[in-house]
Amino acid sequence: MVGANGWYLKSGSPRLNNFKTTFKLLLRNPGSAIGLIVVILYVAVAVIDQVYPRLLGITTDINTMTTNFTHPVPVPPSWLHNFSNWSLPFGTTFPGIDLFQAIIKSIRIDLSFSVAVVAGGCIIGIILGLYSAFFGKWLDQLIMRLTDIFFSIPFLVLAIAAGFFLGRSLEILAIVLILVWWPTYARVVRGQTLSVKEMSYVEAAKSSGVNNFRIMFKHILPNTMAPVIVQVSFDLATMILLLAMLDFIGFTPANAYLPELGYLASVGYGYAAIGDWWTLVFPGLTILLLALSMNLLGDGLRDAFDPRLRR
Amino acid sequence: MNLVGYVIRRLILVIPTIIGATLIVFLLTRAGGTNMIIAAYLNPRIPYAVQKAALVAEFHLNQPLYIQYFYFMNGLLHGNWGYTRTGIFSGPVTTAIGIYFPNTIQLAIVAFIIAMIIGIPLGTIAAVRKDTWVDQITRVIAFIGISLPIFWLAQLLQTYLGTPQGIKIFPLQGTVSSIYLSGIPWINNYGVSSPTHIMIIDSLIHGNLPIFFSAVDHVILPAITLAFFTLAGIMRYMRNSTVEVLNQDYVKFARAKGLAEPRVIKKYARRNALIPVVTISGLTLASLLGGAVITETVYGYPGIGYWTVQAMQNFDAGGILGATLLFSFTIIAANLVVDIIYAYIDPRIRLGE
Repeated sequence: MVGANGWYLKSGSPRLNNFKTTFKLLLRNPGSAIGLIVVILYVAVAVIDQVYPRLLGITTDINTMTTNFTHPVPVPPSWLHNFSNWSLPFGTTFPGIDLFQAIIKSIRIDLSFSVAVVAGGCIIGIILGLYSAFFGKWLDQLIMRLTDIFFSIPFLVLAIAAGFFLGRSLEILAIVLILVWWPTYARVVRGQTLSVKEMSYVEAAKSSGVNNFRIMFKHILPNTMAPVIVQVSFDLATMILLLAMLDFIGFTPANAYLPELGYLASVGYGYAAIGDWWTLVFPGLTILLLALSMNLLGDGLRDAFDPRLRR
Repeated sequence: MNLVGYVIRRLILVIPTIIGATLIVFLLTRAGGTNMIIAAYLNPRIPYAVQKAALVAEFHLNQPLYIQYFYFMNGLLHGNWGYTRTGIFSGPVTTAIGIYFPNTIQLAIVAFIIAMIIGIPLGTIAAVRKDTWVDQITRVIAFIGISLPIFWLAQLLQTYLGTPQGIKIFPLQGTVSSIYLSGIPWINNYGVSSPTHIMIIDSLIHGNLPIFFSAVDHVILPAITLAFFTLAGIMRYMRNSTVEVLNQDYVKFARAKGLAEPRVIKKYARRNALIPVVTISGLTLASLLGGAVITETVYGYPGIGYWTVQAMQNFDAGGILGATLLFSFTIIAANLVVDIIYAYIDPRIRLGE
C-alpha cells in the first residue's frame, strides 16, 4: 500500500519532467529492470497476438483455436519425450486445445481488462481527489466518507454480487470494478494535492488570476502523478489476480475459446490431480510472473521517483 | 480529546458508512430488477405464488426506491436477511451465517497467528540486517507472496501435499476426516459441528480426541495457504517500521548505554515497531476474508467463503446478498476496532484531525 503521507516533494521540483533520471534510477535496481522487461514482453506478446499471430507460431485464425477432439485428454509438452520437438511447448488442455495458444490469448484478455479497469478508476480517482483537496470543506468530507464506504466492501465479494445481479460478463464486471476502484487514487491524489497546493508557485498562479480549473489540472496535477503511477503498477497486478480469482470460482461462463488464465488454471486443477501437472502449472506460472514483474516494477518506480523513500 | 470522546465520535462516523454500504448493496440488488429482492427473501418452504404479494407489500416494492431502501434496512435491522437455498444449506441467511462464519473466523485466526509468528521475526531480521542478502531474500519472498495467485497456491499445495500425486502428508479437504461425517450426532454431513460450529473446540467440548487431531490436521493446509497470502504485508510493514524505529534517538541512546543488541531490539525497538503493524491488521483482515473465499472453495472447507461460492454457483440471491452485507459489516467493524486500539496505544491520534 502506498500511503499518501509517505509522499512529499521538495519545494516545487516537478519530478516527472525528469524522465531520464527516473528511468536511469529504475534500471539501476536489478529487480525492477527485470520487471520492466517482463512486462514489456507480455505486452508485446499480447499485441503481436492481435496483429500478427504467425510470429508466435500461431497459424490458425486468431479468434479460433484448434480443438483436437481425438485427444480430449491433455497431451504432455512435446519436449518431454523429444527435446528437439517444440510443436506443443506447454502441452494441451481440455478440450484438446494447445495450452500455449490459450495462454497467449488469455494474456491479451487479462491485460486489456486490467488496463481498462485501472485506467478508468485512476481517472475518476484523480479528478475526485483533486477537487476534494482543492476545494476542501464539505466536498472533501463527502468524498472522503465515500471512499470509506467503498473501502468497506471487499472487491471479490462485490464482483460476485455484481455478476449475479447484473449479469456475468467481462464488460459489466469492468464497469462495476471501475466504479469501486477510484477511492485509492482519490486518497493518493488528495494527500499529494494538500501539500502541493500550499506551495508558492500555486499561490503565484492564483494571485496572477489563473482560474481554478487551470491551476488544478495544469499546475497541481503533474506534481501529484508520481505516487499515482506507482499505484497503477501495483493495481494492474492486483486486478490480474482478482480477475483470475473470479474466473477460478466460475464467475464468467466457461468458454474454451475465450480463455482466461484463472479459468485455464481451474480446468487444469482437475487434471493435475490425475497427474497432468502442466495443465495447472503453466497458467499459474504465467499469472505469477506477470503479477510479480508488475509489483517489482512498481517498487522500482517508487524508489526512482523519490530516492529518499529507499530504505 | 479523551478516549471516550474519540470512541463516540468514531462510532458516529460508522453510521454513514453502514448506510452507504447497505445502500450500494441494495441498489446493486435492485438493479437486477424487483424480482431479485423477492428472490432473496423467498422462503423455499412456502409456494412462490403465496409469498409474492406478501413480499411486494412487505418491502413496498411498488413505491419509490428510497422507501424500498427504508423497508429493506428495516428488515435487516430486525434480523430478516432473506433465505438461502444451496446444496449445503437451506434456510434463513442469518442461520447460515451463524453456522458457517465460525469456521472462517477459526481459519482466519489460525492463519493470522501463523503469519504473525513467521512475519514479525522475519521482518525484524530484515530490518536489522538491512541491505544484506537476508533483506533481499525476504523482499523476494514478500513480492512472491503478494503476486502469487492464492487459488493456484492452494491447488498446488492440495495436489502435491494432499493427494498421492505428490507426497500425501495432509488430508485432501473438509474440516474432519470423512469417516466421522456419518454416525456422530454432533457433526452434520458437510463437516459442520455443533454447538460452536468450530470443529476443534467442539471436539474438545465432547471430549473426542481422535476428532480433535483430525480437525487440527485438516486446518493446517488451508491455514498455511491463507497465512502465506497475508505474510508478505505483515513482513514488509514490520521491516519498514523497525527500520524507522532503529533510527530513533531512544534506540541510539540504548545502544550508547552499552546494552546488548538483542536486548535493544527486543525491549526497545520491537514494541514500538509493532504499532503500525497493529494498524494494518484491519487491512489484513479484509484480505484474509477475500482469500478465505478462494481457500475455502479449494479445500472444501465449510466456511462463509465456501458458502458464498456455493450461493453464486446455485443462483441463490439470498446467499449473495447476505454474504456481501456480512463481509462489509465485518470490515467496518474491524476498522472500527483497529482505530480504537490505535487511539488507545497512540494518544496523538485522539488529538489529531
